[in-house]
Order: sequence, then C-alpha cells, then structure tokens
Amino acid sequence: MAKESDNQAQIDLLQGTLDLLILRTLLLGPKHGHNIAHLIHQTSGDVLRVDHGSLYPALQRLERRGWIAAKWGASENNRRAKYYRLTADGRKQLVAETNKWERLAEAIARVLNPAREEG
Amino acid sequence: MGWWQELRYVVGRLDRRRAEAELDEEIRTHLELETEQNIEAGMSPEEARYAALRAFGNVSLSREDSRTMWGLSWLHTLRQDLRYGARMLLKHPGFTFIAVLTLALGIGVNTALFSVVNAVLLRPLPYAEPERLAQVYEANAQQGYDRFAFSLANFVDHRDQQTGFEQMAAYFRRDANLTGAGEPERVQVAVVSASFFPLLRVQPLLGRGFLTEEETPGKHRVAVLGYGLWQRRFGADPGILNQPITLGGNVFTVVGVLPAHFQFPDPFGNNPLSEAAPKVDLLTPMAYDPKNLGDRGSHFLQVLARLRPGVELAQAQTELRAIAGRLEEQYPDRNKGWTVNVFALQDEAVRAVRPALLLLLAAVAFVLLIACANVSNLLLARAAARQKEMALRLALGAPRARLLRQLLTESLLLALAGGAAGLALAYWAMRAFISFSPANVPRTDEIRLDAVALLFTFGTTLLTSVAFGLLPALQASKPDVHATIKEGGRQAGGRAGSPRMRGLLVVAEVALSLLLLIGAGLMIRTFISFQRVDPGFRTDNLLTMKLALPFAKYPEPRQQVAFYQQVIERVRALPGVQGVGAVSDLPLAEGGFFAFIIEGRASASAQDDPSAVWRATSPDYFRTMGMRLRRGREFTEHDQPGAVEVVVINETMAASFWPGEDPIGKRIQIYDQQPMPWREIVGVVNDTKQFGLNAPTRPEIYVPFTQRPRAAMTLIAHTAARPEQLAGAMRAAVRAVDPEQPVYRVSTMEQFFSAEVAGPRATMFLMGALAVAALILAAVGIYGVMAYAVTQQTHEIGIRMALGATQRNVLRLVVGQGITLTLIGEVIGLAGAFALTRLMTSLLFGVSATDPATFTVIALLLTGVALLACYIPARRATKVDPLVALRYE
Repeated sequence: MAKESDNQAQIDLLQGTLDLLILRTLLLGPKHGHNIAHLIHQTSGDVLRVDHGSLYPALQRLERRGWIAAKWGASENNRRAKYYRLTADGRKQLVAETNKWERLAEAIARVLNPAREEG
Repeated sequence: MGWWQELRYVVGRLDRRRAEAELDEEIRTHLELETEQNIEAGMSPEEARYAALRAFGNVSLSREDSRTMWGLSWLHTLRQDLRYGARMLLKHPGFTFIAVLTLALGIGVNTALFSVVNAVLLRPLPYAEPERLAQVYEANAQQGYDRFAFSLANFVDHRDQQTGFEQMAAYFRRDANLTGAGEPERVQVAVVSASFFPLLRVQPLLGRGFLTEEETPGKHRVAVLGYGLWQRRFGADPGILNQPITLGGNVFTVVGVLPAHFQFPDPFGNNPLSEAAPKVDLLTPMAYDPKNLGDRGSHFLQVLARLRPGVELAQAQTELRAIAGRLEEQYPDRNKGWTVNVFALQDEAVRAVRPALLLLLAAVAFVLLIACANVSNLLLARAAARQKEMALRLALGAPRARLLRQLLTESLLLALAGGAAGLALAYWAMRAFISFSPANVPRTDEIRLDAVALLFTFGTTLLTSVAFGLLPALQASKPDVHATIKEGGRQAGGRAGSPRMRGLLVVAEVALSLLLLIGAGLMIRTFISFQRVDPGFRTDNLLTMKLALPFAKYPEPRQQVAFYQQVIERVRALPGVQGVGAVSDLPLAEGGFFAFIIEGRASASAQDDPSAVWRATSPDYFRTMGMRLRRGREFTEHDQPGAVEVVVINETMAASFWPGEDPIGKRIQIYDQQPMPWREIVGVVNDTKQFGLNAPTRPEIYVPFTQRPRAAMTLIAHTAARPEQLAGAMRAAVRAVDPEQPVYRVSTMEQFFSAEVAGPRATMFLMGALAVAALILAAVGIYGVMAYAVTQQTHEIGIRMALGATQRNVLRLVVGQGITLTLIGEVIGLAGAFALTRLMTSLLFGVSATDPATFTVIALLLTGVALLACYIPARRATKVDPLVALRYE
C-alpha cells in the first residue's frame, strides 16, 4: 500500500529487522505503540519507514516470546495505552541480535566496498 | 522460561473477546494519537485522520496478523472456516449432494475391500507367533509338483533329522461315520501327530491333546472333539471327557474338547470342493509302527512346522532339502527327483485368493481416483463461479494461504461427509462381498468394520480431501483480481477456471475407467470360457450323494458290492429316474492316482512307471453321466470277480500310450492291491475334466467296482425333472437298505459346477460392479465438463450461429471437444491396460491378458458412453438463441 509513496528518501524495513528496532527502542524505557513508531522514525533520521500497522503483530510476537512485557497505563493525553517494556530475556536477545546485525552490516559493507578494505 | 512465558501469553488471550477489544483499543488509541499529532502539525482534521490511516496501512491485516500470534488461533480459524464452509455447502445442496455421493462411493468401496483384505490377507493367523509357522511339502520338479503331500516314511526321516524347526507335525483328513446316540452322522476327522497341539500352541478347552504314546497302534483310540461337534452332538456336556464315542464302528475315548476359536490350519487349495474344505469335527492321533512306515512312495500327509526362534524359513528349507537329497540317494526307487518346499503358513493360507483380492484392491483405488477427479471437476467449475468472492477477499487483504486453507477446509468437510456416508456404503458392500465370496476365501467370518478399518477410512478421507481439493483450491485462490473485479465477477468468456485442467481430469478419468472396464471385460471372458468348457459329461439333471460304509459293519468287499447294488436297484425303480450309477470318486471333485505298467513295456525302475487317475464305477456309470464310448464296450453285469479283470480307459490314455494303435485287448497292471492281476482294456471313453475346469486332462483308468470294490462311493442319478426333488426319495432308498447308513454331500452336478466357477464368478461380478461404477462416474465427469464448457462458450456459440453456423456445426464442435478428450484418455488407458493386465494373468482362463477383442469392444463401449455424455450438452448448445447469447454479453 505505502510502497507507492513518493518519498524516495525513505527505505522499507528489511525482513526481520523490525523486531530488533523495537527492542532497541524499548531499551530507553517503556513505550506504547505510537511512541515506538515515531521513535524509530526519528532516531533513524527520518530514513526508516515503519508501516504503523505492522508494528502491532510484531509487538504481539515479541510479547509471546517473552522478550517484552505489556501493561496498560495512561498516555500523554490521558488515554489508556498499552506500554511495553523490555524483559531480561529481551535484553539478552537485543545484545545477540545487535551483534548479529553488526556482523552482517560489516560483511555486506566489505562485499560492496572491497577497495576500502585493502586501502 | 520461554515456553512458560509463551503459555502465559496464550492463556492470557484465551478470552478472545477481551483480547480483541484490547487490540482494537490499542489500534484506536494509536490512530487518535497520530491524528492529534497531525492536527498539531497543521493539517485539517480530515486530512489528519486520513494521513494517520495511511501511515498505519491495512488495519484489518494488522489485526488479523496480530491475532495469528494468539497461539491456538489456528483452531479458532478452523472453527471459522468450518462454519463458513458448512454454510457454503448447504447453500449449494445439489453440488454438495453429488460430491458427497461420489466420494461416498469411492471411500465406501475402499473401506469395504480394505476390511476384507485386512481380515483375509493381513491379519495374522489365529495361532501364537504365527510368523514362525510354515507349511512343508514334498516337491518333484520333473513331475510338475511344487506342493505334494509327504509320505509317512519321508516325514519321519525329515522330522527326526532336522534342527531348524522347533516342531514338525503331520496330519491327514478323512471322514468317518459317527454312530451311537442319535442319527448316524458323517463327520470330518483330522488324524494328527501328537506334536500338532504343542506346535500350534492350542490349549484344549477341556481335557488335553494327544500324548506321544498315543501314536502307538493300539493306544490310539482317543479323540479330541471340535467345539462345534461338542455343542451340536453332545449338548456341550462338560462330562464328555473319558466317555466313549463310536467312530467308523470303533470305540474311541474322548480326551479333550477344542476351544471355540480354534481354526484348523487347512491349506486352502484352488479347488473349493477339495475334501479339505469342510470344517474338522474331531481329531484322532496318527498311529504308526516306527519299524514299518509303509510305502515311501505313498504321499498323503500334510506337514506343518514351527521355526525355531531366529531361524529363517530359507535356512530351514535348505536343511530339509539336504535331508531330502540324502533320502533320494538312499531310496532312489521311491525318492528319485523328490525334494522339499517350505512356505510361510500365512502365505499358503491366502495363496489362492491373493491375486483376486489384489486385483480388486487396485480396482477400488481406481474408483476412488475417478471419484476424486470428478469432485475436483465440480470444484473447479465452482471455483470459476466463486472468482468474485475470492478476488474480493484477496483485495481486502486476505493472504492467499488463508484462502487456500478456507477452500481446503471445505474439501475436508465434503470428504468427511463422503467418508461418513461411505462407511454406511462400506458395510453394505462388505456384506455383498461376503455373500459373493466362494468357499475358498479363508476367514470371511472375521471380516468386519473394526477400529483398523475406521482408521483406514479416516486416513483415506483426509488424503482424498487433499487429492480432490488441492488443484481447485490452488486454481481458485489466484484469480486475476483486477480483471475479475472490473468485470463485476461475470464469467470471463471461456477463459475462467482452467479448461485445460478440467480436460486433463477428464482424460485421467477416461483412462482409469478404461483400465477397470478392460479388467472386468477380461474377467467376463474368463467366466464365459469356464462356462463353455465341456467337462465331458452332462451337468444338468444329475443328483449326487456320497456314502461311506463302515468297515466294522461291511468288512467284506462282497458285502460292500451287494449294498451298493441293492441301493442302485432301489433308486433305479424310483419314478423320474432315467439312470443311476456309482463311482468311487466324483470327477471335478476328487480322484486319486495309481501307477501302472503295460504288458511288455517294463520300466527301468518303479519310479518311472506311468500313473493315471483311477476310478471304480458301476456298469451304468458312463451312460448315467452322458459320457460317450469311443471304442469297445462299457462294463456289464458279467464283469464279476473271477471273470476276466477288465478296464476302460479315456482317450488321453489311449493317445498317450497307444498312439495310432488300438488299445482294445492290451493288458495293464495297476499298483493298487496285492496280488496285481493283469487287466484287459475293453473300451475307450471320452475325456472328462478330472480336477477342475482349467486343469489338464490326465490319463484315466476305470475299473468295474464289482472287481475292485470300494467302501466309499458316490451315487449318481440322472433325473427327468429337477434333480434336487429326488434327494428325499434317494435317501429313503439308502435307508431302506441300511437304516444306520448316513449319506452326505448331497448335491446336484450343477452345484458342483457353479462352485467350480465360484471364484471367477465372484471376481467377475465384483470387478464388473466396480467397472460400472467407474463408467458412470466417468460419464458424469465428461457430461459435467462438457455442460460447463457449453455454458462458458454460450457467447462464442452465439456468434458462430449468428455468422451462419448450423446446428450441425455446433453439435460437431461440442461433441468433437468431448470426444477428443475421451480418445486421448482411451489411448492412455489402452497403453496402461497393455502394461497392467499381464499382472492378472493367473486369474484368467481361455483369454489372453491383452485380448484384442476385449480391448476393442471395451474401448468402443466407453466411446459410446462418452458420445452420449457429450451429446446432451451439445444438444443444449444448438438450442442457443444467437440474440440471447449476444445480449448475454
């Protein structure tokens, strides 16, 4: 749906990276869904675009795996909102995933840019 | 840790309504926050709301995806799909009815036949550790025997020298008169070695089995009663032990009673009339003198064996053959060329019926495949009609897998309904099978719809639902969304669905039904061939009845002859009797061999002496049976003991031993008794079928029963009217001569005949029924596809007719399409038949497995049916009004 968007500067998320971003965002403290979407958008320098709709299945998935926990609370405008926080398992998972991601990024960079490695 | 949290998560969402509400609230809050943010950024409320929705993406998809996380949500989905599927099926009762009926037919016949195969072929024999039981035969390749009875001496030598078997047991069957309290009765006796009981691990219900010392002559007058005889004749009297019974005039002491479930391990021969067929009534020990084991060349024992644990059948056979080799060297006169074959008892029990059952198993599988193809076709047609529904759901964001699941759930529902109806059908089909099955099908009383059969049905149902549902589901779940929605779901002219796929299904159906029809055709030809066999004697208006005189009462041959002569005279005097004769062994049913020598032609050893079938007959036997005298004379009243000993031979014997010569006046000796008189050949009669309609005719010798009396004879009366009406009068004639003398096996010759062809007849009927079912299914399939094609092509046909095509052209167009598919299917089916019918060669008689006439006729028949199936929709096509058809656009 949003693929036909005209903003060429934005990049669709890679498969599987959304979970990592959510976990990273929650490292800063408990957030509700709307917070998370905007934080990812902002901290990526407006480059990464998240379909807000895809966030909720991901949150359910993470909660099911026990990496995040949810609790109802009051939002900015005094609405009832569901706040997610990182669990101990989630922290471990974040470390592991981050390592994995960095290795991947490094490897891809090396493949794409062999000259720099030699120089 | 992980699973615990997961469980807590799933349990937390078991209350679906609350979970849904929370999710909805979450999403609503999100959208509201986003909208507010957008308004703050300066958008109009409307713009803000729209932008929030756009940023969110597909709300219902998000919701659906979230829900799939709620653990057992597949169950929830299944329930939804089932409810939806059931609604769809109920909305189209015609479609549902036909599909369920078709599937019920396919699944039903499979369940029925599976139950039969399970009971007859698969279920282990009812003995402890049946896999270790074997049947052992003597075999002689030169003489063409692979399963021959043992002689006593050979049995004892093999038993005593072998090590591979835990036990070996021998038995032979005979019948005897049971007299004493109540009506005299002919009973079936098995004379068994003492090892018989421990070998089969049979624990008598009362008393005991036989002791080894009861194999000694003089101590052998003990008996173990079968459960049936004990119930019937002795009123299930528990005090029967140690009571005397009179068997063949001798007194035996009852020492045991067999349990109800005991089954005698008969080898089930090809001939259901063989004496082995009736149930054993009682057992007596086999007594013999170890110092005098009799003629090593006299083969009469059936041998069972139980393998030692860990010993293979082949090993045991190798050992026995080594023993047989030594015996062959030791006794070349009697054992030259003889060796031993060992077979698993389970295989032996079903040897005669396995080919027919496997054929039928293949046939029912074909019927199920055809049924699947038909339902697939129906679903494909429906898929075309449901394109709009599918396209809409896809457009609304349902993943294709979800649609597939929905469609397969509908298939499953159909299959389950079909399976349930199939079970009812199976019960009925099974009863039909049992009532059709000839006497040589073992263990028919164990055939039932049990848990295993139910499991089989359920498995078949699941497989079936995928088999017929997958193709249409794949097809239906990928409609061209844009085209379909744009066209408002109207059926796109002919391209909708996949005509090619439906064509393929028709081709497959035609090919499969052709195969089945050819199989059935070959069985029909076989049956006709059997019916056409000339047995060499008349089969109509003959009543036969067997008698066996007890030696105790009729010890002298003279007395036996006198008895039969009196009975014959009395029967001849009965009204409606046109002729009466007696014979020692009724042809087709029974008969024995004797070796003989021809005067002036000495053999190198006794082993090389020729042998012939042997029968003792009364003078009128040939005339009563309607046999034809070719040369010389029949027996007369003058062929008495003391006169010249005479024989009559059959044409095969004359041609084999006196080719181009006149055998009349030649003399032979028969190895039947001492001393052996020279017997003069006085006549030649036509050949008769001796051991079955498809068995080769052997040389045969007839001896007058006056010169060679037998205690057991079969009376044959040729009647003017229906032969069974004479039975009472004939029994009375016997009773008038000896009131204590039982008669048994009272039967018309026609009954023998129909028993003889019972196997082929049953196979023919069952194959025929399945083939007809296949033909109907295929015809319905062709009709359905063509009818659908015509609806799809209404527009095209309208244009053609508007452009001047005649009704004839249209007819040809439509029929041409159907016939092309049929012909392609037939070519494939014929090729398959050429390859596969060879496998049924052992079931055929008088027709080759690739009989061109059968193949041609069946192909023509199928083409004719296909033509008819195409013609009806084609006719409808010609009725298309071009104006209406064009406006339809």
